[in-house]
Amino acid sequence: MTKSFGSRCEQIAAIVRKDFLIGLRRRATFAAMMMFALTAVASLSLSTGGSFVEPKILSAMLWVVIFFAASAGISGTFDDEAQACTLPTLKLYAAAQAILFGKMAGVLLSLIALTTFILPIFLILFDVAVENFFLLTTTLLAGLVGLSAAGTLTAALTTSATVKGGLFPILLFPVTLPIFLPAIALTEAAFTGAAFEASALVVIAAFDAILILASSILYDYL
Amino acid sequence: MIAFDDVTLSFGRRVLFDNVTLNLRGGRVIGITGANGAGKSTFLKLAGKILQPDSGSVTLPAYKTIAAVSPEMKIYDDLTATENLKFFSRLRGKALTAEKLFELGSRVGLDMKTFGDARAGTFSTGMRQRLKFAVLLSVDADIWLLDEPTANLDDDGREKIFSEVQAAKSGKIILLATNDKAEVEICDEVIRLPL
Amino acid sequence: MNKILILLTLAIIAAIIFLVPPIKGLGDLAKIIFFHVPTAWVSVIAFFASAFFAAKFLRTRDFSFDVLSARAASLGFVFVLLSTISGAIFSKLTWGAYWNWDPRQTTIFVLILIYGAYLTLRAAVSDEKVRAKVSAVYSLLSVLTVPFLVFILPRMYFSLHPSPVLNSAGRVDMDSTVLIVLIAAVVDATLIFIQLMRRDSS
Repeated sequence: MTKSFGSRCEQIAAIVRKDFLIGLRRRATFAAMMMFALTAVASLSLSTGGSFVEPKILSAMLWVVIFFAASAGISGTFDDEAQACTLPTLKLYAAAQAILFGKMAGVLLSLIALTTFILPIFLILFDVAVENFFLLTTTLLAGLVGLSAAGTLTAALTTSATVKGGLFPILLFPVTLPIFLPAIALTEAAFTGAAFEASALVVIAAFDAILILASSILYDYL
Repeated sequence: MIAFDDVTLSFGRRVLFDNVTLNLRGGRVIGITGANGAGKSTFLKLAGKILQPDSGSVTLPAYKTIAAVSPEMKIYDDLTATENLKFFSRLRGKALTAEKLFELGSRVGLDMKTFGDARAGTFSTGMRQRLKFAVLLSVDADIWLLDEPTANLDDDGREKIFSEVQAAKSGKIILLATNDKAEVEICDEVIRLPL
Repeated sequence: MNKILILLTLAIIAAIIFLVPPIKGLGDLAKIIFFHVPTAWVSVIAFFASAFFAAKFLRTRDFSFDVLSARAASLGFVFVLLSTISGAIFSKLTWGAYWNWDPRQTTIFVLILIYGAYLTLRAAVSDEKVRAKVSAVYSLLSVLTVPFLVFILPRMYFSLHPSPVLNSAGRVDMDSTVLIVLIAAVVDATLIFIQLMRRDSS
């Protein structure tokens, strides 16, 4: 048991490292995700033209930007490998669960990178003074974990689709709604410094755990 | 021994395998031949449990590892030859030393000094095929699934791979799907799939 | 079975038109609630039925369960649309707006999104075996969100939904005829759903 767990972890680490190397060399996916986020934030900021935007709307906009940029960036998690015919090789040499969690970890890291890139730009362009930075970071991190879990399984589902245009966000959105709704409320509280419901954070964390567990169970049936 | 028990598989209305029961024994090279579309590659996938049958079962010996060379399984174009080898062997819990890398390269006729740090995407088809075979050798698996392993290879490459297969066959189960005469010749036993 | 069901449906429609007193201050059109509640009920039942058959398919790999799962989802999609439209009309009559993102409206909207996503996924995968697997997995993944939404949404959105008129708290207000007819309508809609599932699968 411990030996297989250790080798599982080694496989996960190898896959994350491999995807990171390929991501560095083939920057297109990553660049597209960042530029998508930048374009979305710029267009929102330009259209509001520096006028005051309510914190509630701001926090919703931030999550919408993250959701669609993430969709652009992670929908090809499995599909890129399927197109390159490397997915069957990977599936032969690595355990299914190691592939799932390796990909999930990679997706989480790229989403953290995305958020680290876009958040300061967002805060500066909309002139947001964050009152509770700790809450903001915790909420973003908790949200991204769930988004990675659901996103990775959804990316595995869409790989076999013959028509892919737009399919990924359509599938992902309803599944991640239980994360977005409390996350938007918490982000608003972080912007304004208002009192917040800690139970919302618990809801996100619980749903994260359920998504990770469900992805792990369901992936074996694919 | 790989045991097929009442295996049935169909694609749409086409029944490819209909209640197939057979045993594939180790220690020899078993050739799988048949016309295009007879299901040679599919047979290998069933044998390796890469594909599940519609009904019936395929049983592999416990704790046996599988490796394959197949046109449907490519290596990473964006990784170098060395990185590809290290990645796949690490997935199987094997750390490759520099000496081992050079040895693997020479066994398949790929000079790792010159090509080790080049991306696989820059390789010719034949060189990529040699690298795929090196990956197979590096993981030291118990079951080899070879789908047209020497297609695109020159005579030197063929000879090297044939001798590796011959040297490795005792103690392994080797399945070789092919219609190539030279590849069929190295098989100890041939299963011809009907269309 | 079919004939009995038609008779029952006709009897319920007659009861709604003639037997049920007009709802106070809302007019006759507000009787659309007798259509709205049963269809909403069936769309939720169909959603869980689809997930149930999806799980059975993944366990057994018996493709007839995939057919049932898909059928439940298609029927559920029709019912959820009917329910949403009738609900919006009732909402307009009662509160003056077709839509106001109250928790139950939001839930049903999410249900539309999930059904829509599921059916789009089925349409997008051409290989039968793969389609069955992939859509079963999605069905089970999406069913997980429902308990969370039921828990979260009422905290997030202010509710206009009528506990006073229809729910347990308002039992004093509700005529026993109304209650009986409403329950009969829900049972009838459920039977229609079961009948449609059975006929199409045979």
